[in-house]
Amino acid sequence: MSLAIAGMGWITPLGSGVDAVWNCLLCGEQACGEKITEQLGKQSYTAFRVPESALTSLTPHPRLRRASVISRFAAAAGFEALKNAGVNVDEKTAERIALVFAISNGGVIYTKRFYRSIVESGAQSASPLLFPETVFNAPASHLAAILGVTGAVYTLVGDGAVGLLAIKMAEDVMANATFDYCLVVGAEEVDWLLCDAYRRWRLLRFEPPVEPFRQPARGMILSEGAGAVLLAREGSPMIERINPGGHYRKRAEAEEILKRILSDLNETRIDFVLSSANGTFVDEAERKALAQVIPGALVYTPKPALGESVGAAGMWQIIIAALALRRGELPPLLHAELSSQLRISTARLSLPHANDAIVLSCGLNQQAAGLRLSIR
Amino acid sequence: MTQSGDANGKKRAARVAVVAAGVVSPLGFGLSETLDALRKARDCVTPVTRFSVTQCRCKTAGQVPDDRLLNKKRDTRAQRLHRASHMMIEALGEALAYEPQLKPELLVIGTTSGGMSYGEDYYRSLHRHRSLRHAPAWIANYPAQKPLIDAQEAFGISAPCQVIANACASGTNAIGHAFECVRSGRYQRVLTGGYDALSELVFVGFDSLQASTPEKCRPFDRHRTGMVLGEGAAILALENLDSAHARGARILAEITGYGVSTDNFHLTQPDPSGVGPRRAMERAIESTGTEALRLDYINAHGTATELNDAAEGKAISELFDGVPVSSTKSMMGHSLGAAGAVEAVVCLLALRHQFLPANINFRAPDEALDLNIVGNEARPAPLRTVMSNSFGFGGTNASIVMHKFET
Repeated sequence: MSLAIAGMGWITPLGSGVDAVWNCLLCGEQACGEKITEQLGKQSYTAFRVPESALTSLTPHPRLRRASVISRFAAAAGFEALKNAGVNVDEKTAERIALVFAISNGGVIYTKRFYRSIVESGAQSASPLLFPETVFNAPASHLAAILGVTGAVYTLVGDGAVGLLAIKMAEDVMANATFDYCLVVGAEEVDWLLCDAYRRWRLLRFEPPVEPFRQPARGMILSEGAGAVLLAREGSPMIERINPGGHYRKRAEAEEILKRILSDLNETRIDFVLSSANGTFVDEAERKALAQVIPGALVYTPKPALGESVGAAGMWQIIIAALALRRGELPPLLHAELSSQLRISTARLSLPHANDAIVLSCGLNQQAAGLRLSIR
Repeated sequence: MTQSGDANGKKRAARVAVVAAGVVSPLGFGLSETLDALRKARDCVTPVTRFSVTQCRCKTAGQVPDDRLLNKKRDTRAQRLHRASHMMIEALGEALAYEPQLKPELLVIGTTSGGMSYGEDYYRSLHRHRSLRHAPAWIANYPAQKPLIDAQEAFGISAPCQVIANACASGTNAIGHAFECVRSGRYQRVLTGGYDALSELVFVGFDSLQASTPEKCRPFDRHRTGMVLGEGAAILALENLDSAHARGARILAEITGYGVSTDNFHLTQPDPSGVGPRRAMERAIESTGTEALRLDYINAHGTATELNDAAEGKAISELFDGVPVSSTKSMMGHSLGAAGAVEAVVCLLALRHQFLPANINFRAPDEALDLNIVGNEARPAPLRTVMSNSFGFGGTNASIVMHKFET
């Protein structure tokens, strides 16, 4: 079953609004790094954070008053996707919309605050206001409540591939004729604790830039935000095929699963590939898989500009691929290793006849997936 | 709103068989021990031993004993795995022992917190400036989806997975979505279920909400005072009935209906009108496509909190007249993301062995609820069709209907 992207929305470290962020990417802008410190450790980290100004257009709602920032990101992106599609949600349409959320680390800021109080002052000081916001499906619940959705609402957890897996789940959900639309939202918030964890996992670098496909890999920069796509049965571009991949056992084996995914999606001439290369082991796995399955493919990754937003990353990639197909151009790839044996463009590139793109996602915790977008 | 019919408006025809199951919970390891505990209406809630609960109101939980869970550690890698991974490996291992040749195309599994206690270890070590030598292993094994991937690796299953985190409804949502996947004809074989291990953060969280009780868990009792937490994992192997027949598989039961609803009343409280549970149950019944479905038993969500039991009880009594109801959480606690899956296995055992599982610690009926509670003792009963309910934070509600397989 093919699904179409009827609407899109995002909030990113480069701001919010489909056109505004797209124009930033086309101009080769990179998000500003922000130092994050924490009393837990001496080490400071740099992350790409969503500027406060990006949330000013979000209409206040009682459900968002105490909600974590991840819920506000999700709401902002979700509203924009609906508006972008021209869908006004009333009681009747709300019944025919399903929600699928993609999340990896979830509401880590409130979770840390909640657990800190337990560690520092004991269980009696634990806040009953914070605890509900630590639950993975809190952002989905808030958005469902604001929109009045009363049917299927699913939160999917996973690594960086979870956005694409959520699209696959949305396809399964949309097999049910009950639903006209499925709003798929990927969201993440960044915190010192996450930076520290990824650094101990040898995946993070302390300062930008993110240098995709560089050998040896120097690490990623974490970021935050949300991306949303409204899926419908008609429209453009179409999601022609989704390969939910599977999992790889060791990092060295990631290349094999990526090859299988690319082989499955590579049925027609592919104009470009939206890669998930982020300055880690992922880059080499993707480079080798691409070189073997689609040699000469034009490759772009948004992560030098936007950072690694894990749960939101896949949605951002899909939005960029859809915009590139619709508008016939691709942003410049920043800080890339030019000798990577991949076809990349460090300048804004016109693609007036581009019809087909692959979005590839290799997560950091063993999951991988891909999909093919087409415009006719 | 119907859940039946595909995108082309055609009626879905595929019947969905349960061809294998596996479970580990405070009731026991495996179907046989679980059946024994259910028949004896055993209280498996014990004092919490995994972390300090001195400052909590509630001091008990349903716990899977480590001496049995962890005694099969084979190598260094296995020793690093989280308890939730070990539970999943146990449950999946039992299901695959029934159906060694089963090749799933998809896994749909529910959880709420995955390897949460490893996150706690990491935070505590940072906070107290202790050694972080084990931090990389904690971090690698903390993600919510990791226990499922560990279990897949243990048995060489490389199929893609969807890990649903819909709070306490996760397990039933997972089974329901897996059922829809097979019924739609998009998949022939899907493994489904749920897992969750007890963690301090979650335990204290429910305690802070005063949702958990310092007393016994008494679902639907007039003097109920709250829930106790639990842990566990359960797996059900779903297969297109025709495909299962064709290869001569043993069919344990059929899943015939799934209903899902979201009530937007409050993040942690159900709408007191019971509209959320009611919609989920109505949609599950409607989804069976049976005009006058007669239910023989409902395994209720039944957390024993004042608000849940009132809303669920109201919805059940409005929809069904005198159907026997029990909450088996009274015996084993509430295992959150695993609960719907473990309770689906309870329903499976009830159907296959023709008995009503008990709602223990039941002393006095709540006169505000017109319910036929299976109080304190399991009893034999002819069962053909049963329902299992799960409701969670975020107003997420899910119900499945399971049917005794009849050729």
